[in-house]
Amino acid sequence: MRTARAFIKRNILEILRDPLQYIFCLGFPVVMIVLFSVIGKYADGMDDVFNAKALIPGMIMFSFTFVMLSVALLTSKDRTSAFLIRLYTSPMRTVDFVLGYTVPCLVVGVGQEIICIAFGWIVSLIVGGAYFSFGAALLLIVGMLPMLLICIFLGVLFGSVLNDKAAPGITSVIISAAGILGGAWMPLDAMGGFETFCRVLPFYPSVYIGRIITGAVHTPTGAEPPAVYAFDSVAALGFIPIAVVLVASVVLAVVAFRHNMKSDKK
Amino acid sequence: MLAVNTEKLTKKYGTVTALNDCNLQVKEGELYGLLGVNGAGKTTLIKILCGLTSPTEGEASVFGNSVRTDMSAIKRIIGVSPQETSVAPKLTVKENLQFFAEVYYGDKNERKNAVERVISAFSLDEVLTRRAGTLSGGWQRRLSIAAALVSDPKLLFLDEPTLGLDVLARRELWEVISALKGKITVVLTSHYLEEIEALCDRVAVLNKGRVAAVGTVEELKASSGQKSFEDAFVSIVKEAKI
Repeated sequence: MRTARAFIKRNILEILRDPLQYIFCLGFPVVMIVLFSVIGKYADGMDDVFNAKALIPGMIMFSFTFVMLSVALLTSKDRTSAFLIRLYTSPMRTVDFVLGYTVPCLVVGVGQEIICIAFGWIVSLIVGGAYFSFGAALLLIVGMLPMLLICIFLGVLFGSVLNDKAAPGITSVIISAAGILGGAWMPLDAMGGFETFCRVLPFYPSVYIGRIITGAVHTPTGAEPPAVYAFDSVAALGFIPIAVVLVASVVLAVVAFRHNMKSDKK
Repeated sequence: MLAVNTEKLTKKYGTVTALNDCNLQVKEGELYGLLGVNGAGKTTLIKILCGLTSPTEGEASVFGNSVRTDMSAIKRIIGVSPQETSVAPKLTVKENLQFFAEVYYGDKNERKNAVERVISAFSLDEVLTRRAGTLSGGWQRRLSIAAALVSDPKLLFLDEPTLGLDVLARRELWEVISALKGKITVVLTSHYLEEIEALCDRVAVLNKGRVAAVGTVEELKASSGQKSFEDAFVSIVKEAKI
C-alpha cells in the first residue's frame, strides 16, 4: 500500500497544480448551472426542465466526464514520457498504478458533486425555486458514484491506449455524448423513442436515479400532469447498463493498462 | 562478484532480432559503457536487465539474480534513468525525490536521509522548490539521475544520459557521473564516443545485437590498430559487418 499511497499523492498534486482542471472540472459545470438556472427562470415553460432538482443530477453526471478527460490526459502523458517506464522498473505493482490513478479522481469527482450541489443551492436561493434536502444531497453523492467510477476507468482506458494528443479528442466525443444522451439539459423524458434509446447507455439512467433522489418532476408533456421521478421500470432497468458499463470499463482499463505495460516494453 | 552476467542472451521482436547471443560480464564497481549505432541492441539489453522485457533465449542475471525468476529482487537493487525525461513535471524537485524515496523505503527516517543524501550529492539545493517541468534539460537530467539513486541501488542504468544537452550541461553531468565511480556499478549507453572515452572503465561495442568487442578504450584502440577511439569504433563496427 505504501507505493500506491506515494503514487496517489503524486497524482493528487499533479491534478491540483493543473489550471485546466479547475476550468473544466469546476468552472464549466458551475457556469452551466448558472446558465441553465437563468434560462429556467426567464424562459417560458422551461422552469420544470431547468429547475435545480432536475438540473443538478445532470450537471454532476456531465462534470464527471471532465474527470475522464483529466485522468486520460494524466495517464497518456505519463505513458508517453518515460515516467511510467521508470516506475515499471520499481517495486510498484499493477494494483498500485490503478489505485494511484483512480483514488485522486474519486476525490476530485466527489469534490465536484459537493460544489455542484452547494452552488446549485446558492443559485436556487437567488433565482427562487425548491431545493432538495441535505439528506437527499448526501444520497445523491453516493448514488452518482457508479457513474463517476465509469468515467474514471474509461479515462484510464483511453489514457492507456491513446497518446496525449488523441486522448482529448476521443474523450470530447464522450463528453458531448454524455451531455446529449444523458439528458443533462435536454428533456429526454418528453422525447419518446429517443429516451428509450438513451436508456441503453449509462448516462441517462444515472441522471434518472439522481432525479429520483432529488425528487425532481418530469417534463410536462401537456397530455397529463407532470409526475415526480419515481423508482419505476426505467430506473430499475437503468441499473443494467450502469452495471454492465461499469464492469466493462474496469476490466478493459486494467487489461489495457497491463497490455500497454507490455507493449511499452518493446 | 559480477554485477551483470549475460549468456547467449537473445531477444527477438517478431522477425527482428534485437539481441543475438549476447555475452557480457560487468564487474561490481565498474562504470561500463555500451556503445553502438542506432538499433545495435543497447536499449534492448538494458530493458531486459531492468525487467521491462523478457529475453527470448539465453540467460541474464544481476548480482546473481536471474531476470527470468528473480525480477522482484532485481528491482530492489537497480536504479534506472531512461533516455527521455522521467520526472513528474508539476512536482517540485524535492517532491519528486520524496516520491521516489517513498516507493522504495517504508521508514520515514530512511526516506528523509535518502532524499537529503542525493540533494547534497547532486547539489540540488538551489532548485529544490522549483517544479521539475520548469527546469532546464540539464537540471532535469540531473534530477532524473538523482531520483534513480534515491533508493541507493547497487547497479545504475544510464540510458543516453546526456542526449540533447548542450556542451556545458553535458560536461557538468559528466562530473556527476564520474563522482559515482567506484561507489556503485554503472552501465551507461551513449552515442557520444568522447563521453564513453571520458567516463567508462570498460566498453562493449554492440553491432546488430551482437557484442563486437569488449575492453578498455586503450585496449580497443590497440586491438583495432587505430590511434583515435572514433577510428577504432568505426573499424570494429565495419569488421563486424564483414
